[in-house]
Amino acid sequence: MGVTALVAATGRGRVSAATPSSYPDWIPASTKPPKRGGVLNRASVWDPPVIDPRHTQSIGLFQFAGLTSSRLIRYAFPEEANSTNDVTLKGDLAESWQSNADHRVWTFKLRQGVKWQNLPPLNGRELVAADVKYCYEQYAKEGVQAFTFQEIEGMETPDKHTLRVHLKTPNTLFPQNVAESVTVIFPREVLEEDGDLKKRLIGTGPYILKEHTRKVRVVLQRNPDYYDKGRPYIDEYVILSTPDFATRKAAFRTGQSDILQVASLSEVEVVRKTNPSAVVQEYKNVLAPFGLALAQDKPPFNDVRVRRAISMAIDRQKQVDTVYEGHGIPGWGVPYFYYQDTAPTLKDLGQWWQYRPEVAKKLLAEAGHAKGFETTLFYYEYFPEMTSQVQIVQQDLKKNLNIDVKITKLDYTTYYGRYVDSKWDGMSWGFQSGHAVGLDERTYMYMHSKSTKNFFRVNDPVIDELTIKLRRTPDRAEQRAITKKIVDRELDQVLRMWMPYDAGFFLYQPHLRNMAALALRRTDGYGSPATTRTWLEK
Amino acid sequence: MYKYVIRRLLLSVPVLLLSSLIVFGLMRVMPGDALTALMGESGNVSAKDLQKLRMDLGLDRPYYQQYGIWLWQMVSLNPGYSIFTNEPIPVALKKAIPVTLELAMLAIILGLTIAIPVGVLSATRQDTASDYVGRVVAVSGLSIPDFWLGTLVITFSAIWFHWIPPIGYVSLWDQPWKNLQQVLLPAAILGFRLSAATMRMTRSTVLEVLREDYVRTAWAKGLAGKVVVYKHALKNALIPVVTIVGGQLGVLLAGTVVVETIFALPGMGRLTVEAILYRDYPIVQTNVMLIAATLVTLNLVVDLTYAWLDPRIRYS
Repeated sequence: MGVTALVAATGRGRVSAATPSSYPDWIPASTKPPKRGGVLNRASVWDPPVIDPRHTQSIGLFQFAGLTSSRLIRYAFPEEANSTNDVTLKGDLAESWQSNADHRVWTFKLRQGVKWQNLPPLNGRELVAADVKYCYEQYAKEGVQAFTFQEIEGMETPDKHTLRVHLKTPNTLFPQNVAESVTVIFPREVLEEDGDLKKRLIGTGPYILKEHTRKVRVVLQRNPDYYDKGRPYIDEYVILSTPDFATRKAAFRTGQSDILQVASLSEVEVVRKTNPSAVVQEYKNVLAPFGLALAQDKPPFNDVRVRRAISMAIDRQKQVDTVYEGHGIPGWGVPYFYYQDTAPTLKDLGQWWQYRPEVAKKLLAEAGHAKGFETTLFYYEYFPEMTSQVQIVQQDLKKNLNIDVKITKLDYTTYYGRYVDSKWDGMSWGFQSGHAVGLDERTYMYMHSKSTKNFFRVNDPVIDELTIKLRRTPDRAEQRAITKKIVDRELDQVLRMWMPYDAGFFLYQPHLRNMAALALRRTDGYGSPATTRTWLEK
Repeated sequence: MYKYVIRRLLLSVPVLLLSSLIVFGLMRVMPGDALTALMGESGNVSAKDLQKLRMDLGLDRPYYQQYGIWLWQMVSLNPGYSIFTNEPIPVALKKAIPVTLELAMLAIILGLTIAIPVGVLSATRQDTASDYVGRVVAVSGLSIPDFWLGTLVITFSAIWFHWIPPIGYVSLWDQPWKNLQQVLLPAAILGFRLSAATMRMTRSTVLEVLREDYVRTAWAKGLAGKVVVYKHALKNALIPVVTIVGGQLGVLLAGTVVVETIFALPGMGRLTVEAILYRDYPIVQTNVMLIAATLVTLNLVVDLTYAWLDPRIRYS
């Protein structure tokens, strides 16, 4: 089946090349009045390595840190959003925010009467602007969020509920950066008493961390003093550390877990044989976080003809059809909704992204590599499908361009250390962080040559100029136009060689209401604050 | 005998020292360190910050210094802290050891409970249907990997009985019934594997002993079959069985890694594997040394058991 036919078959809102599934990618909010009470259980693959938000951005922590702790700003919850891709910002601790004319000074008006959770040493005292200032200063000082917060030149608190942030350079997208799920506000007292945040996670969020036993469970209990009165609805949320997929599946089947993520449609059907009443949601991808990263600052990959040739020699559709059972996206890096309304098809990605081995061969010959060459590719198997993809790429490159790729599969720490060190040769199966949805994260942070998150080693003056320009452009329409230019440039120069990806499907027990599996709002992952609106009809 | 024990204990020192060198060396040979794992997928940390953190954790010191410091920590029974979680290692071990210990003990009990009677039955009814069944079970136990058996058991329990062991470990002392539900099935899987080798060895040695003159004499005296087999033959047949069980304990500990992962039990296996993946050197090194010391001790205990089983054996 051709790409066009597949796209036509997928229907509204589906990404390209996806086999039509009868499952929706959007579950509307329940129209019934929410019920209070009950316990939500989830068998989770992730276990938080540490609970100090300064030192990790692991999904293991942020599957619940967003519930214990608030941010200044958040994205719209499922029942507030008008579509899967609604990236409207809403106030969390901040009621309103605005910048000065040149977008270097941002003023946040904080919600009044927000209380820290009623635990020592906070004992339910009121949150004030100085708390947020202190927290951001600590983030800037050390740890994994330093890059974001070191953008701040200084902060002032004209009154108890006003925070004024002065940036080093103008950035119209700054509010998105403090809406990222990892920018949770922690209290001064705990850091000062303990010296770190590894033992206690206290915040102003809807849930109180009652228990965290590594490799066993995380227990969250409803915060009765949460500022959003009446919420959350569920009394207790238990996250059970369950590293094995077969066990998570069995837990769902037996009712020990209320949520299950599976990789493929066939797995959905297998589970539905024992649990026919399970509610299924298709996980709609808005970006592919994985792709082939090339050492593009060195020969032969510094030659755009070589990059284009490689891209055209890889049959992405074959990966979608075989590895992802026809469900999945051919791949792109910046979420498309920032520059166009519908998901791009493989065809939309441009001429260098089409599978044309003959043209690829010609291009490679023009670049002086008519007989091919030898190179290396290292990767970490984030999920089993990745190994199949790596092997397909190896076969395609050998068959079409006579490029011999020596594959090395590494364990996570080795892979990560080597990859972010950016001194490797050849190729790597690269990634972008899973938590980031903001436009600034997806453009400047990942593509500007000076950014420490520029793992794909993009070094393109046009991209540098455009990403800075984007930060200085407040108008939404202009932002879209610049973003499109960035994406077009990226695709034309094949700066990041995206590969097909699929996050699969979610299954929910039938008594769950207002759950979500969207990139911005998934109930089980970085979008965990959405659980505040989930309730159980039991 | 005391001299023998002391000599064995002294000999264990170089063994442990060598183990410490091997584990220390292997951890350093592996690329990456705990910080790269900790910072996972963020990319927000500059090289300068990473260097500072490495310095704070002592990871920038020469290897001989790191080794010396660790050795001293081990000797002074203060193994330090996890790099990853900052948790004191004794605290982490206090949580993990009871889980694995309970699992291993139950596995041994279940394994021996199955292996010895079935082995004896196979031997006394050689080449009958029950012998063939016993041998098939034993070969299956040896050839079926734990991860496959564990996955099958948990999947089909869910499908057929709509039940699996409750997830979310609780200790035996807090909730005994729930704990037993959690531990019995994985222990049975481990025990099944353990029982296989033991069953085969029991069968072979009982068969051998049953052909001894003194057993024939016992039959000739008109003793009851059970008395001949269990009182006269079995005890003498057990020495090689004890050796096999001792040797299988290492395999049993390795098996806990897989079984603890499948059944979500927070034991030593998961602790060690996670520490290896995250390059949490102090945890890996301490755990390996602990396991090495346990195996050395168990081997000694196995050797000492011989004398109890066969009073003719003397240690000098």
